[in-house]
Amino acid sequence: MKRTNDLIVGLVVIGAVVSTTLSIAWVKQSDLGRTQRDVTAHFRDVGNTRVGNAVVVRGVVGGRIQAIELAPGGWVNVRLKLDPSVRLPSDPVVLLNESSLFGDWQATVVERSALPADAKVRAEVAEASSEPGMLPGTSLPGIGELTAVAGQIAGDVATVATRFGTAFDDVAARELHESIRNVSDLSSTLKNVANAHASDLDSLSRQLQRTVVTLDRAASSVELTAKRVDSAATSDDARRLIDNFSVASLELRHTATQIRALSSRLQTTEAKIDDVLTAGDSVLTKINRGQGTLGLLLNDPTMYRRTDSVLTELRALVSDLRNNPKKYISVRLF
Amino acid sequence: MRLPSRPITTGKAMRSPAAAIEQIGSVTIRGIKSIGVAAHFVGDVAAGLRDAKLVARESVVQARRLGVDSLPIAIFIALFTGIVLALLANYSFTGAVPLYFVGTLVEKTITLELAPVLTGLALAGRVGANIAAELGTMRVTEQIDALETLGYDPLSFLVAPRVLAGIVMFPVVVAVAMIVGCGAAWASSISLLHLSSGEFAKGLRLFFETFDVRYGLVKSSSFGLAVTMIGSAQGLDAEGGATGVGRAATSAVVYSAVAILTLDAFWAVTWLLGRESAV
Repeated sequence: MKRTNDLIVGLVVIGAVVSTTLSIAWVKQSDLGRTQRDVTAHFRDVGNTRVGNAVVVRGVVGGRIQAIELAPGGWVNVRLKLDPSVRLPSDPVVLLNESSLFGDWQATVVERSALPADAKVRAEVAEASSEPGMLPGTSLPGIGELTAVAGQIAGDVATVATRFGTAFDDVAARELHESIRNVSDLSSTLKNVANAHASDLDSLSRQLQRTVVTLDRAASSVELTAKRVDSAATSDDARRLIDNFSVASLELRHTATQIRALSSRLQTTEAKIDDVLTAGDSVLTKINRGQGTLGLLLNDPTMYRRTDSVLTELRALVSDLRNNPKKYISVRLF
Repeated sequence: MRLPSRPITTGKAMRSPAAAIEQIGSVTIRGIKSIGVAAHFVGDVAAGLRDAKLVARESVVQARRLGVDSLPIAIFIALFTGIVLALLANYSFTGAVPLYFVGTLVEKTITLELAPVLTGLALAGRVGANIAAELGTMRVTEQIDALETLGYDPLSFLVAPRVLAGIVMFPVVVAVAMIVGCGAAWASSISLLHLSSGEFAKGLRLFFETFDVRYGLVKSSSFGLAVTMIGSAQGLDAEGGATGVGRAATSAVVYSAVAILTLDAFWAVTWLLGRESAV
């Protein structure tokens, strides 16, 4: 009886211990007797990651997080226990992220080129890459952080909506309605104009097209000419031409200097002529006014008549002299 | 060891402030005395463990009676607890929480609370009453006096093996209850809730910690200590024939249940709360 008791109690105790141990091992997915390899990743922050979380490679669970420990310099080292069959990418990076909405996290191993296009994430990975022998890693924002940002955005949108509601009152609505109607009228007017001038526009378009073709040809010609000039610029003729141009330029400069001097002298002469004309003008003015002898001669008819009378008398005198020379001329010899 | 039971006088019956002060003093002295008696009893039992050979031999017998023979009732309770818990979780989670959280809820509640407490209460009724009735009968029939006359220490021969068996076998029974409860919940989830085995296992593993099992087992061990100690104390204090034995058995069950719930709260406050603050 006593031995039976011992046996039964022993069996129950051992059975309970073994069952409990195996159950815990199964629940924790402990790998009893399987060889696995350790990989250590380097993080600034591991978020809510815990020991036992899954390690996912290309969407497949390929291991578990074995340990999380603080490292010098403000780093956190996470040791991953991977199945032997798991092949990591050529340039692996470990991302810690939430695997569901209920707080469980996982470590995702990705190729560096497949990192999210987020400057902060890439900077953290680059910083974590400095540690040799460890995979660089970073933690992605959790649902809480994303929700907080979304909440902030929602608040901003609500503010904008409130301001829009304040600004968009009945008057603004009526004005907007009026504007839309005006735009509609304008649109129909433009449509009519477009219909009326459709043929002109077609013609214009054709002309424009021809012009474009012509311009294209001209451009081709210019291009061709430019090529020729370019090729010519490299020959001796072009060099001589340039030298000639240089000489001509010097001569032109000399001629310009002379012309500038001539122009200066002409200006002086012009000033003198101007003075002469002014003086002449003054004289003519005086003559017109009848001042001076010449003025009197030109303006006083009496003088004219007297002169005419003198001439008449002179003519008579000459005639008389011809007729009667002896009356006026007496020649005596001794 | 039995404390004199004196009804507490109500406020209306008190005639003077001096009588009220006297009443308070009396209650306080009785409380301190009961603590002292309990501590003295625990010390005597600990001293009774000195006879290790005798205690070990008797402990195996008590382990069979208190632990192994209690497995059917513990398994029965765990079986239905697991099934009902899975259905309750499904009812609570419908449309709001993924159904694989049934596994999470089952694992946490069964390992941390239901398996230790429900099994403890069941064993308090079965084991506590059994010990109190057995020792009470021995007390009223003067068998214990005969043992003392023959030179046996009743605490070493009768109490210490039961206490040791309770401390060892309660966690064993509770561990079996944990496994059976989770298994029953898993089976009912698959058959009744159309939850896949993988989903249930995912929920079970999601927030599982070895601490959960450790906490439940340590707690159940303390329950075993309390139930066997209370049953033994009540049995040794029995007097007045069959009526006294019945009263001792009843008191043992009631006090054991109270002790289990008190210890449950004690462990939650001292261990769970500390663990939360540490995290």
